[in-house]
Formats: sequence, C-alpha cells, structure tokens
Amino acid sequence: MDASMESLLETYLFETNSLLDGLDELLINAEKIGDFSEDDVNEIFRSMHTIKGSSAMLEFNGLMEIAHHIEDLFFYIRENGIDSLDQTHKSELFNLMFKSTDKLRSEIEKVENNEPLETNIDSFVGEINGLLKKISGEGSDTDDSKDSGKAEAPAESAKAAIPVSVSDIPYFIHVYFEDGCGMENLRAFMIVNALQERELEFTYYPDDIDRNPDSAEKIIEDGFYIGFHTEEALENGATVVGNAQNIRSYEMMENQESPAPEEHEPEEKAAPAEKKAAPPAASAPAKNKSDAAPAKRKEAASHGAVKQDLISVNLSKLDALMALVGEIVITESMVTSSPDLQGLNLDNFNKSARQLRKLTDDLQDISMSLRMVSVSGVFQKMNRIVRDMKQNLNRDVRLTIIGENTEVDKTIVDGIGDPLMHIVRNAIDHGIEENVEDRIAAGKDPQGEVILSATHTGSEVIISVSDDGRGMDTDAILAKAARNGILTKPESDYSQKEILMLLMTPGFSTNTEVTEYSGRGVGLDVVKKNVEAIGGVVSITSELGKGSCTTLKIPLTLAIADGMEISVGKSIFTVPISNIRQSFKSTESEIILDPAGHEMIRCMDAFYPIVRAHELYNIPDACTKIDDGILMWVEASDKSYCLFVDKLIGEHQVVVKPLPPYLQQFHIKDSGISGCTILGDGNISIILDIAHVYEAARGIF
Amino acid sequence: MAETTVDIIETEEGQSPKNIQRFLTFVSDNITFGVSTDYVIEIISSYMICTLPMVPDYIKGIINLRGQTIPIIDIRLRMGKMPQDYTDATCIIILEIKDISVGIVVDSVTQVLDIDLDRISPIPTQNQQELTSSMISREDGSVILFLDCEELISQ
Repeated sequence: MDASMESLLETYLFETNSLLDGLDELLINAEKIGDFSEDDVNEIFRSMHTIKGSSAMLEFNGLMEIAHHIEDLFFYIRENGIDSLDQTHKSELFNLMFKSTDKLRSEIEKVENNEPLETNIDSFVGEINGLLKKISGEGSDTDDSKDSGKAEAPAESAKAAIPVSVSDIPYFIHVYFEDGCGMENLRAFMIVNALQERELEFTYYPDDIDRNPDSAEKIIEDGFYIGFHTEEALENGATVVGNAQNIRSYEMMENQESPAPEEHEPEEKAAPAEKKAAPPAASAPAKNKSDAAPAKRKEAASHGAVKQDLISVNLSKLDALMALVGEIVITESMVTSSPDLQGLNLDNFNKSARQLRKLTDDLQDISMSLRMVSVSGVFQKMNRIVRDMKQNLNRDVRLTIIGENTEVDKTIVDGIGDPLMHIVRNAIDHGIEENVEDRIAAGKDPQGEVILSATHTGSEVIISVSDDGRGMDTDAILAKAARNGILTKPESDYSQKEILMLLMTPGFSTNTEVTEYSGRGVGLDVVKKNVEAIGGVVSITSELGKGSCTTLKIPLTLAIADGMEISVGKSIFTVPISNIRQSFKSTESEIILDPAGHEMIRCMDAFYPIVRAHELYNIPDACTKIDDGILMWVEASDKSYCLFVDKLIGEHQVVVKPLPPYLQQFHIKDSGISGCTILGDGNISIILDIAHVYEAARGIF
Repeated sequence: MAETTVDIIETEEGQSPKNIQRFLTFVSDNITFGVSTDYVIEIISSYMICTLPMVPDYIKGIINLRGQTIPIIDIRLRMGKMPQDYTDATCIIILEIKDISVGIVVDSVTQVLDIDLDRISPIPTQNQQELTSSMISREDGSVILFLDCEELISQ
C-alpha cells in the first residue's frame, strides 16, 4: 500500500469510525424516545451514504453492501415518513440498526487490523431486506423490486411519471466538468446548492445527483443541464456556474422549440430536491417551501460549519509538537537565566526576554489545549453498554450522564474507556437489584439509575460511576476474600474502606456466576491497573442497600504540571503543587512519637505522620533537625502526611518527562518517583509521586 | 561522534574484508573492553548526574542529554568491581541498544579498531567476566574483551 493510499485509509477509518459513533449516539437517543425524528432518519441516511461511498472507493465491498442496504431501508422510511411504521417494526428497526452498526464496526476493526474482511454478508443483507419488505409490504403498495440496486425505487417510480426532459425549458446551461476531477455528481450538487442560495428557480438534470453516485457517469458523458424559465435567471445562473470550480466549459443555450414553461413541473421538482438537499455543504437556508424545511436546513448548515472547522491530526505529530514546545520552554529559561548575564544591566534584553516568555507561555498553553478532548465520546459508548445489558440481563436501568463536555488529555480519554466500561458493567450487573420487586420493597424507583459524571477540580478530573442499587455487603466481601486467601491481616482488623479496596485485588469477584458481562474475576484489579497507568487512582464507596460509587481521580494532563521545587541535601525534587496543602516551619518539641517510634505532628487538630525525605532516600548532607528544615503537608488520594525537606526553592511550571524505560525494571515508581523534569539550568529534578512516597516510606518503617 | 573524538584508527593485519567490524575500546579497572560502534551514539565527558534513590548502586542516576533523559550505569560497579572516584579521564559512552539509550561510565576511552569477527574467540570459563562472552588477543599480547550490550540492558 503506498503512502497516498495509506493516508486515504487513515482518513476513511477516522471518518467512518466517527460516523458510527455518531450513529450509536443517535440510535441510543432515538430509542429512548422510542422513535426516529425526521432529522434522525436523514442523518442515518446521510451517514450510510457516506460510508457506502467511501467504502466503495476503497473497495470494501462487504461494508459497502451493508451500508447500501441500510441506506435503501432508510430511503424508504424517509420517503414514507417514520409514522408509517408501527411500534413492532420500530423496535425491530432499532435492533437491526444496533446490529448493523456493530457489524460495520467489527468490519472496520478488521480493516484496522489488516485482517481479511467478511465476504459473505448475504444473510445480514437478507435481514435488512427482510425488514424493508416487511415495512414496505404493509406501509404501502410499492413493489419489492429493489434489486435494481437503487435506493430510490419508490421515488423513482413517482418521478418517472414526469419524465425529465430538458426540452421543456426555455433556457438552460450545459456544464462540463474538468476531465478526471472526480465526484462530478457532488460538484454538480454544489452548483445546485449555490443556485438555491441565490433563490433562483431552476431545474436540473440528471436530477438524482445527491443520491445516485452513478449520476457522475452521466454527467461525465452528457454534461450537467440546468434549466431556467427566464432569461434573467439564466444570466444569474451563469455567474454562479462561472464561479464554480473544476468546470471545463459551460454554455448558455436557448431552447427555441420549448413551449410555454409549465408552471407545475418546476414547483414539483424543486420541492423534493430542496427537501432532500440537507447535505453538510448547504451553508445558508434557501427559500423554503415546507415548514419543516427551515429548521432542518439550519441544522444541516450548523453541522456543516462544525465539520469544516475540524481537522484530524495524527497524534504522533501532536506528541512531537508537545515535546518540541517543552524543549523551547526549557531552552527559553536557560537563555534568559543564563549565568553569563548575571550582574549585567540589560534593559532591552530583559524587555525582549519578557516578551519571549509570554509568547512561549502562550505557545505552551495552546499546544496543551490541542490534546484536550471532551470525554463525551467515551461516555456515549457507555450508553450503548447500558442498553445492551438492559436487554440481555432484563434489568431496567437508565444511565444519566453529567459533565460529558469535560475536557481531558487525549491519552487519558483513551485510557479510561476500558476501565469505565468495566465499572459500568459492574454497577449494573452487581449493583442494581435483579428483581424490580426488591427495589420497590426498598422504596426505590423501580427503574435503576447509574450516574456517570465527570468534573474538573484544579489539576484533576474526577469521573464517578454511581448506582442506586443494593450496595456492597462488606461482610460478604470479607468472607469471600478470606476464602480466596487474599487477606493479609486478621479479618477484624479490616476497616470498611480497606474491605472495599479488597475488591480491586487480583483474583476477586463477588459474583459466583459468570455472565457475559462480568464475573470473570478479572474486573476491578484490571481497572485499577489501567487507571494507575494513566496516573489516576480508583476508590470505591458503598452503603449497603443504598448503592455504591466508584470514583476515578485522574490528572488532567500527563505532560505539564505546576511543581514546587524542593531541595534535600544536594538533590532537587519537584512536588506537584496540587498535592501540597501547606508548608510550615516546626520545632523538635512539637513532634510526637507514636508507640512504634514513628514521628507525627499536629496540623489543624489532626495528627499526621512525618516522612523524612533524606531518610527515605538515604541522601547525605541533608538537614536532620526538624528546626532546620521545613515540613510540607501533602495530600494525595486518601493519604495525607508531612514531608520533611531541607528547603523550598520555588514554584515552576515543569514539563514532565517519563523516566527512561530502562529504569522501569527497578520498580522506580514504587519508590515514589513519577518522572523527571529538566530545570532551567539543564539539571534534572525528580518529580515525586506523593501517594507512592508514603507507601515507600511505610515499607521502610 | 565516536569516530571523530577518537581518531586513532588501527587496522589489524591479515584482515579479510568481509567480516570487519568497528569496535570502540575503553578501559575499566585496567581491563580493555570493546563495544561495537553500531551501538555507540557518542562519548561525553562533561555531565551532571542526577542521582536516583532506591536503585541498585551501579545505576548512578540520569543525565540530561539535549532534552533526553538517559540512565547512567557505572560499568565497574555493574561488574562487581570496587568503585573509583571519577577523574578527568572518566567519561560516559552513550549506547543505544534495541532502542534503549543508556550511558556507561568508563575509566577512559582508548581508540576505535577494525576487528575481524572471525578472530574473536570465546573466553575460557575460568576467566569469565560478567557481561562479556568473547575476546580477542592482539599481536602485542594485549587482550580485548567484548561487552555484551544486550546482556547489559536485560535484568
């Protein structure tokens, strides 16, 4: 596969995947209401049309066939109105559509993985056609002869009654497109749109350019005809055509033999053309003949605008940009704080340096924001999971989504998909009561609720999944953990919090029965691992009988953090500002020892353990007396303690660099080091992971 | 680059043109080692090592090499020898082994040699050193041990 094909394929995959995602969302929403709106039908039709077209271009015939038949189905629905379907047909349609998007998605996945595509899709296509037959058999008398391959069967027959002949029209423009410019039908359609914008009255031939890709052939051979009824319109039309692109030639012609223009026909023809014309390209509402049209057109226009403002960029390019910007930030401070400049009075230099700093800061902010995407994509996928589980497990659950527009780093969005899926499944499978009676008896809404929410808090995003189910039985968990032999201390020593943490121990699953969705015993520990991989923490809270809540706390971005530089002996460390609660001086006399000899100090009426950084990391020449150094009260997830360091150096924005991969084998993360950063002078500072520092310290005690 | 910093290039006699490979030789604890120049990225002599806590003693820390962080291994300690204070001759050879960059601290770098791979022989077991598996004895009676780079980065 050559490079151009490769990029074509990439675009195709991106486009098709986003269309399928959009479809899923649409289907879920439509199913909630139990009906397709006219817009939905149009949207599905358009998406299928695009998938069909691009699949055909890349010769993925199976995909094309499926999309084509769904397109047929929706063409019929669009022509006859969704109301022509009764309720059973609708639910069948929903199931079929979900199945189809799954099917398409699985095929796309095969394309992605370079696996051979399924060639035998007859049974699936048969299913689609079966439904179409069923609907059309009852909905209207139109024939079933749709094997013509055209989606337009009913409409076509209607139109055949008014044969399109150019000769009825007094004036027309005959347009030829440039040889090999491709997509002639779409180009013609763009002209039609432009003409509609000018509020001209006209007809065109071939008239099925927006639906029938084969019309491109006709246009190549015979040219594209636009008919006008007045000379004025012709002149106007000619300027529009003249401004269009990729036109080889056009000529204005006057049809001498034409009879008086037929009033009826253009009206008739313009109307359907307009109604169907809701492509993204339409940018302004044209004159509208029906009442439904304005809203629809407007929506189409805004859709178009959104799509045109987006470009897709390879993530690796963004990563390269980020790395480069990081370097610039470091180099900038290397230059402006160069020791060579010490003691010099450089007014102009300082001025320019300030300007440079501002610009690099802006550059950094913008490049950071490039990677931020909203979590809505991931959240919407949960809708689908809830729907499927609802059907298969027969539980009435609704999913409420809060804050789906919260933006986080792209790598994080990618990272939370799987864990979130696990959690949502767990919530429904283990959380929500099996029987509606149990819920009613407990005085709850018969319909279970799972709330998926995302919120920002400073440098973290908090994603929580809560259900109003039966909650977790801590005794049962403890008993099970004991059975599985994963307890590390006597049962009575476990606090409620610790018991819930047991759920995330490898090899734990409370459901004795294995269902399709959960209970394989590889649930929450995998979730925990995945979330930790992106720097987050998982916590579970639960109240028996009232429900449980799983919370993920994840850093907004992995690349840049505000950090406080601290020194211990000759080493310099960086502590993320978000972890610091307070820094204060203290004296030896305020230190209290617990029975095991661990140091503690009182802050705000509570006692917190002290971790001495120099002891933990064996750093020589550091302050050992509490009076000489400084205590930093830090907090991370559920851990809160005081870190004893020599002194604070200052606050900086740091570019987080991962530690070299070679060092991973020494379990460096467990010693409380999350990464490193390069300081302005080129030295390296180690970034501390506050939660792990405490664990490492406890390991030493 | 290695080839430019160390410009003494000696050619072994009796070479056959096909199996020649270039090796950078360096000294650590009075033993001469050779490492294929395929692995060598560069040699640096000025550096600031940032020490890492809680790692084996032979991991001296990490350095910043033009924005890249590279772990540094002291080859003496890695081979279980006594540590020695770093001098002006001490330098770091940056190696890239299977996409992993590491720097090794050596006592001094000597030269780049073209060596006929056919003349390399395994080391007699009683003299086996850690991280080396083969050697070559040269005309002047000196011996070069070849560093097994992939062994170096494995656990």
